[in-house]
Amino acid sequence: MLRKYSNHRTQSDNVKLGALTAFSAGMVNVASVTVFFAFTSNITGYYAVLAQEISKGNWYQGAVVLLWVLLFFIGSFLSNFVIIQGKGRWSQYISHAIPVILEFLSILFVGIYLDIFYENSLKETEILVGALLFAMGLQNGLTASISNSVVKTTHLTGLTTDLAILVSMFSKRENRHNKALVDKFHLLLTIMVAYVAGGLFGGVGYLYLENGTFYLTCAILLIIALYDFYKIGRIKRIFERRNKEVVPV
Amino acid sequence: MNRDVLVNLNYLLVALLLIGASLIVMHFESPERLIQGEWVEKEWRLEKDNISASSDLQLQVGLKKEILRNVEDLHLGIWKFYEDGTLQSETSEQDSEIEWFIKGRGHVLELRKAGKQIESFQIQQISRDRLVLHLNFDLQVKGIIEIVLERKEQSNQYAKKV
Repeated sequence: MLRKYSNHRTQSDNVKLGALTAFSAGMVNVASVTVFFAFTSNITGYYAVLAQEISKGNWYQGAVVLLWVLLFFIGSFLSNFVIIQGKGRWSQYISHAIPVILEFLSILFVGIYLDIFYENSLKETEILVGALLFAMGLQNGLTASISNSVVKTTHLTGLTTDLAILVSMFSKRENRHNKALVDKFHLLLTIMVAYVAGGLFGGVGYLYLENGTFYLTCAILLIIALYDFYKIGRIKRIFERRNKEVVPV
Repeated sequence: MNRDVLVNLNYLLVALLLIGASLIVMHFESPERLIQGEWVEKEWRLEKDNISASSDLQLQVGLKKEILRNVEDLHLGIWKFYEDGTLQSETSEQDSEIEWFIKGRGHVLELRKAGKQIESFQIQQISRDRLVLHLNFDLQVKGIIEIVLERKEQSNQYAKKV
């Protein structure tokens, strides 16, 4: 899921990464709306809110929204920065896993803070929403960067547009047998369904698990980060076994 | 202009926006501070969006009464927002303590009684002397109730003038 880059990625790599990250984004988004009354996986609306607050003269609220947008920006910036600066310094898998680990830590911080320290103050709400937007920025930056912008897990406006374009493309018979188009359709559909399923799971899950919803998201992120670690280990073991078979001691 | 300079300007712009927004958040009064104090209800307005212009006026008046009866508990008269997060009115009893919380970017006022949410309002406007709340009600009719409040001192000064 994480160790391959750009065109070296298979359809299966993208589907797995897209589904799991979109599911976690959907969960985080609904949980944060429930707890904080603020969306955290998408920022399109915040640009409109920013303009609205400034036009109403609500400088404080405008500044809060601007900070949230900037935190999403910094998350995406940091993701790609680690990936491109990590090239040649450490393995590709490590470069790609660092943003996931940072995202994991941000969401874990929110979960622990809510459980132990949260007093329902506005300042806390603003900081915790900021941490979640930073996490979502990291995730979106990572998935878009390593998949050559094929996987965008929180960018549902673009995804819906792309899906609509593909569906209209399929109105021509020859396009229905175009593997690239069909693969892209499957990927986008998977991301969309996973995002909605994550949202539903987050909403229902919050009723039973409350802040545990954030820990569950952390568990999904751990699966994403450690899946390739397990695979790399397995490949190594297979190589070692084969080497032993070829050169008996 | 040199590309390197342009890139550095980009970083500078992001840093300036970050510092500027942080300074505003640190030094401007937050809605949580602004709301503290005593507010007097000035107006309860019903704004519906699915009643046609030709609807009978009598019906509208009846409907308005019915809707307002459903939110009678929130007719507090004077809203006293205390720093410790409690909300009291002139009529409220000791055991019916309401807690208030500001959520989102400072645009949602949530009221809770015994830990359970009783209502959440959209803060449409908040300043030193005026607070406008919007309440979405869950009846068969879509629409909002607008509650306009004025800070008590402001209201008293006006009364003295009159």
